[in-house]
Amino acid sequence: MKRILIRFNEKQVSEPIATEVLIEHKVPAAILSAHINSKGGEIIAEIPDESLDKIVEAFRKRGVLVTVPKLIDVDSEKCFSCGACVALCPVEAISIDNDYTVQFDKEKCVGSTCSICVDACPVRAIKSIKPNGGNHALNSKVKKI
Amino acid sequence: MSNQGRTRTIEEINQKIRSGDVQVLTAEEMKKLVESSGVEVAFKEVDVVTTGTFGAMCSSGAIINIGHSDPPIKIDQAWINGVEVCHPGAAVDLFIGATNMCKKQPYEYGGGHVIHDLVAGKEVEFRAMANGTDCYPRTSIKTTFTKDDINQFQLLNFRNCYQRYNCAVNSSDEIIYTYMNKLLPHLRNATFSGAGELNPLMNDPDYETIGIGTRIFLGGGPGYIIGEGTQHSPQNLDGTLMVKGDAKKMSPEFLRGASFTKYGTSLYVGLGIPIPILNEGLAKKTAIRDRDIFTNIVDYSVPRRDRPKFGKVSYEELKSGLITIKGKKVRVSSLSSIKMAKKVSQTLKSWIAEGLFTLTSPVERLPTTATFKPMRQTEEIPFVVSVMHPAVTCTEDEEIRAIAERIVTKSVNHIVVIDEVGKLLGIVTSWDITRAMAEGKTALSDIESHNVITAKPDEPLEIASKRMAQHNISALPVIDIEKKVLGIVTSEDVSRLLGR
Repeated sequence: MKRILIRFNEKQVSEPIATEVLIEHKVPAAILSAHINSKGGEIIAEIPDESLDKIVEAFRKRGVLVTVPKLIDVDSEKCFSCGACVALCPVEAISIDNDYTVQFDKEKCVGSTCSICVDACPVRAIKSIKPNGGNHALNSKVKKI
Repeated sequence: MSNQGRTRTIEEINQKIRSGDVQVLTAEEMKKLVESSGVEVAFKEVDVVTTGTFGAMCSSGAIINIGHSDPPIKIDQAWINGVEVCHPGAAVDLFIGATNMCKKQPYEYGGGHVIHDLVAGKEVEFRAMANGTDCYPRTSIKTTFTKDDINQFQLLNFRNCYQRYNCAVNSSDEIIYTYMNKLLPHLRNATFSGAGELNPLMNDPDYETIGIGTRIFLGGGPGYIIGEGTQHSPQNLDGTLMVKGDAKKMSPEFLRGASFTKYGTSLYVGLGIPIPILNEGLAKKTAIRDRDIFTNIVDYSVPRRDRPKFGKVSYEELKSGLITIKGKKVRVSSLSSIKMAKKVSQTLKSWIAEGLFTLTSPVERLPTTATFKPMRQTEEIPFVVSVMHPAVTCTEDEEIRAIAERIVTKSVNHIVVIDEVGKLLGIVTSWDITRAMAEGKTALSDIESHNVITAKPDEPLEIASKRMAQHNISALPVIDIEKKVLGIVTSEDVSRLLGR
């Protein structure tokens, strides 16, 4: 599975683009998170590896921006592996290895749409990266639906 | 071969440290040795076992003496990097408390961070005000300094090294932010603290070798135990220590400022104690395992001194990352760092092995029995249970008309919807009924609210009252842990009590 970030602008948001693409290609995508309102929106979805190229192409044909996102940044200088974040993670992207070191799986993390771990870090070592895309930027005023 | 009656002394161990012959193991290594070769062999082969813990220890702080200004000032109020520091003694002696927060960055920067910054060699901003006296005329001062510019900089922690701590969960409907960090609703996560089998006090639970004057690893430098910690409760395996050490010799790696969202700031402290294996009994005690150390699973959603418990759990289970509460699997993770606790014990081991650190005999023993008393209170505060009254209820199959009649005859504004065993399903208000009339609705399901904000009987009334204000509602059904409706508390009940 590969994770992609799909961003819609103000015009695109009223059209059923995601549904159209997924139905047309019969791809079982897992929607990990979705933030959408009248001004635009973003969806993070997991797409099976073999369908990735055609799905990305289908979205881009419709003028939708698709990126493979970097969603989380962990400051390894600050982190001392307390573990406060581990049990909070809903997608089990954070684990503790045999050496009691906290490990982040950036492939599994769903990023700024979740961010449940960010304010639980006692040394503020975790930053979730907000995707900031040109004309259809999402700002902090976009409410969760 | 038996070691019956054989002992070794601290002086013998120190001679071995000086000559480089000392046998020192970390607590982790000692447990493995005892398990593979037995207590007798372990006692024969091992002189010292090093322990360690690395957790947020709120009752930590530092005494500093910043020297006299010219003209001099007798400080009344002072701030370092915006964090108020207290002035408990003479003119320029100050105490930096780990939990004091910077007013401009509350919950993010506090005394723990100031201590970390000073230890790391950073320059801090200092500001003070005074009344001015004949001998100390100055009334205000502003300057900057580093740890090298000041006189004494002593870490002074009055409660450190908790022998074990609670496992925390939240059974309520909302996220809560506590000193046990972020707790998700409906027991969706659990947190714990403490190093379990690596904790110093767990390895010498009878305080045979740990006492006043014991030299320890504190924050990356040498320190000393100066007494029992506050709330020391050794017979309940809740022992604590009061410690001090020269912070100028400490390392920022082992003293870390911490921020707990919506709770406050603190200081992570690395603390390790060498346990001299003076007799076979101590060899056996240092073999204690996580599976033998238990703690309570405590519900932090009940903001009371005695919080409800969901049974016991071992540190082995806690460190596995998964525990079972009421048949439900709950993910659990640590707040203190096991990785750093191990590093503390390894660093202390290397100091001893390299002859840099010798052991001390305690000059006085710590109490092995002590009572941790609750506060004497001269005023009672009201709880939900003291004002709640029976709720007027209905079932989901009832018609709106019948409910409307009940509102009138019982003269209430809220009807609680329950199932056949009395469990909460929803709530209907007189306003909902009015709306139903206006909109021509007849089915209860069209107007009933299912997302009900509730109260628990043993909550302080003030908290329930705040919850009503926060959600802009005027009543809270009172439910038990099984969601059975016990009664209702309304804003009228609150005002009646206040007006009394």
